[in-house]
Amino acid sequence: MLSRVADSLYWMTRYMERSDGILRMLKVNYASSQDEGKDFSWKPVLRLFTYLDEAETSAMEKNTRASLKYMVIGKENHNSVLNIVIRARENARSVQDHITKELWQVLNDFYHTIKDSRLEYLLDKDDPITVIDNLIRHGLLYYATSDITMARGEGYSFMNIGKLLERALQSADIVDVKFSNLNGSFSKVSDITYWKYLLMSISAYELYIKTYRGGFEPKNIVELIILNKNFPRSVIYSLDHIHRYFERFRNEKNLESFQKMDFMIGKLKSKILYSTPDTIMEQNLHQYLLDIKKDLHAIANGLNQHYFAYT
Amino acid sequence: MQTSELLKGYQLDSQTWDEMCSQDAVREQYRQVVEFMSKLSIEELNKKEDLAKRLFMSQGITFTVYSSGEGIEKIFPFDIIPRIITAAEWSFIEKGITQRLKALNLFLKDVYNDQFIINDGIVPVEMVYSCPHYLREMHRFPVPYDIYVHIAGIDLIRNNDGSFYILEDNLRTPSGVSYMLENREITKRIFPDLLPNNNVRSVMDYPNILHKNLMSLSPGQSANPTIVLLTPGIYNSAYFEHTTLARLMGVELVEGRDLVVDNHRVFMKTTTGLQQVDVIYRRVDEDFIDPLVFNPNSSLGVAGLLSAYRKGNVAIVNALGNGVADDKAIYTYVPDMIRYYLNEEPILKNVPTYKLDNAEHREYVFDNISSMVIKKTNESGGYGMLMGNSATDEEIAGYIKAVKRDPRQFIAQPIISLSSAPCYMNNKMQARRVDLRPYALCGPDGIEIVPGGLTRVALREGSMVVNSSQGGGSKDTWVLAD
Repeated sequence: MLSRVADSLYWMTRYMERSDGILRMLKVNYASSQDEGKDFSWKPVLRLFTYLDEAETSAMEKNTRASLKYMVIGKENHNSVLNIVIRARENARSVQDHITKELWQVLNDFYHTIKDSRLEYLLDKDDPITVIDNLIRHGLLYYATSDITMARGEGYSFMNIGKLLERALQSADIVDVKFSNLNGSFSKVSDITYWKYLLMSISAYELYIKTYRGGFEPKNIVELIILNKNFPRSVIYSLDHIHRYFERFRNEKNLESFQKMDFMIGKLKSKILYSTPDTIMEQNLHQYLLDIKKDLHAIANGLNQHYFAYT
Repeated sequence: MQTSELLKGYQLDSQTWDEMCSQDAVREQYRQVVEFMSKLSIEELNKKEDLAKRLFMSQGITFTVYSSGEGIEKIFPFDIIPRIITAAEWSFIEKGITQRLKALNLFLKDVYNDQFIINDGIVPVEMVYSCPHYLREMHRFPVPYDIYVHIAGIDLIRNNDGSFYILEDNLRTPSGVSYMLENREITKRIFPDLLPNNNVRSVMDYPNILHKNLMSLSPGQSANPTIVLLTPGIYNSAYFEHTTLARLMGVELVEGRDLVVDNHRVFMKTTTGLQQVDVIYRRVDEDFIDPLVFNPNSSLGVAGLLSAYRKGNVAIVNALGNGVADDKAIYTYVPDMIRYYLNEEPILKNVPTYKLDNAEHREYVFDNISSMVIKKTNESGGYGMLMGNSATDEEIAGYIKAVKRDPRQFIAQPIISLSSAPCYMNNKMQARRVDLRPYALCGPDGIEIVPGGLTRVALREGSMVVNSSQGGGSKDTWVLAD
């Protein structure tokens, strides 16, 4: 497979995963904004998903509609869902002969939907959940179409690695932001809404209350989002599957590159496998997550260097 | 809606051949379509038109126009009423194009080798050497099977007596074939059953024939040669076509940056290292294909490609240097070529053409400029031409000056009235001018022309310019079986 094609497939899914993550986050936070009255702030979400500086964030954080518009259809926001979908589509466009026609059409329809000028009105004046749900559904169609129509070849593996890597980074980010909000003192632990919405935003709430009894414990939340092998958005789940897809690249022709990457992925996987919620919390959660993110970025760079380099 | 209502106001111009109507009635080949459409209400017809637009949009059969940093998706306008060609008309066209292509291929072989046609005084030597597309690098280079033109798009128009004329030959990188294929797919959706009921011949084989021909050109012994389609990339207006063809043939779509030349061999950069390329179907213009030989600023091509080509390590389709044969000044000599190489009379006529380096012709053209079209010899896409009947005095004066400065760069033709065909516009049928571009494929087994082609239509009333860059649209083109 062409390096450029592998690169584009990988980024196409990374962007799609990112748009899905943002949309889910926005949906839940919007619901939360209706619950929490005047206290609600968009600051954590804006910090997570935009490049606004402190002053700009403060100016926007209390304005729900402005925040939503900026993050969904903000043209000047590099990381808005609009711009992410445009980039996903540009990547797809350049590899149309490597994805199925169905997959291309689904992504192309998503693009036309998010470019629709009516969205602005709906986000401004109408029910934002309707808009966001509709966009999330486009993403789901994309995943389903990819699952049902794409051949299980090299390209499919790169697509999945992109998706899972993005997801692992997102989960680590979300935990990091949500906990650092508390400035190390988990005094807000009693605040049910806070944790509930965190879990809901990554579709983990139901699994959490089935797994743990007796309210929200930071330790349990960390365990679920980082270490639970059955939770599809956990860091370890993503890494496990990245490794699985990566092993399909074992090939006589570039054995050396393969071994280097295999080592990196395996090492990070072991590091997480041999952590427990207790050791993580003792060691300093923020530092632990920072290390994981650094290693994930190193894997991304390794792919770039060994598989995508074509210039 | 009644037939009479649908056709009400369908205006025939006595000086123009109409594809659908003779002076008193609907032609046989159009009857079923007219009948079918008459049974539908305006709402239903508009719904069909709308469906066609949505299908183009959602399939991404679009080109992107970039303005103020933002990409806007546009569709190439499509008219729902097919253009219909009878079996007899087609067999005539097919014979004519086959004959012409044979001669053009022989001309290219000759002009890059022994130059008999020049020595025998049929084509003047200065005509050849003054052509900017004559490529010295091709001299005495044996292309596989002596085929230079693998894919040709020959533009035909129809004069007021109904006879076909050759408007121009496109022998470099003719485009538009994906619209021949996609327009047909759209027709299947908007007019169910109408295709089989009319016994319309299929155009589906095109990518398979092309693929077969590309395979046969592989210089290696491999049973499974690596074929690539070289595109300038996603910003090219024909990018959709490139992906469509790559997908339909199952070949790799590459950009210049995916390829590298090492030791006169072409490789593509893959996730498992370099892989040698045997055949390149290039959709990048010659000027940009190898920065070492042509435009040094091009980043669309591959450095060293020409040397690999000349060593015979890679086949390139179409061959380089074909521009000398589709030059508009050389065009005037094609009928003579047919007589010279094949000893046959040309089946398809040329549009009468005045060579402006001939003083007599030039004077005649200047005297009758209001009924002439003046064209630059090496431009395409409807650019670089002057329509004498609609140009301002200033524009005319500008062209006269330019012609006097360098007459070789221009030709003139009487303005030929293109035939008209029905279009569905503003709730009724209206006559608009059309041309026809069939696609001919030339391989070791001979010349094959898929029964169909691209019908381009000038959407503005009375306009004769069908180019998509100048507000033209397209139609599905039906060739009926016997």
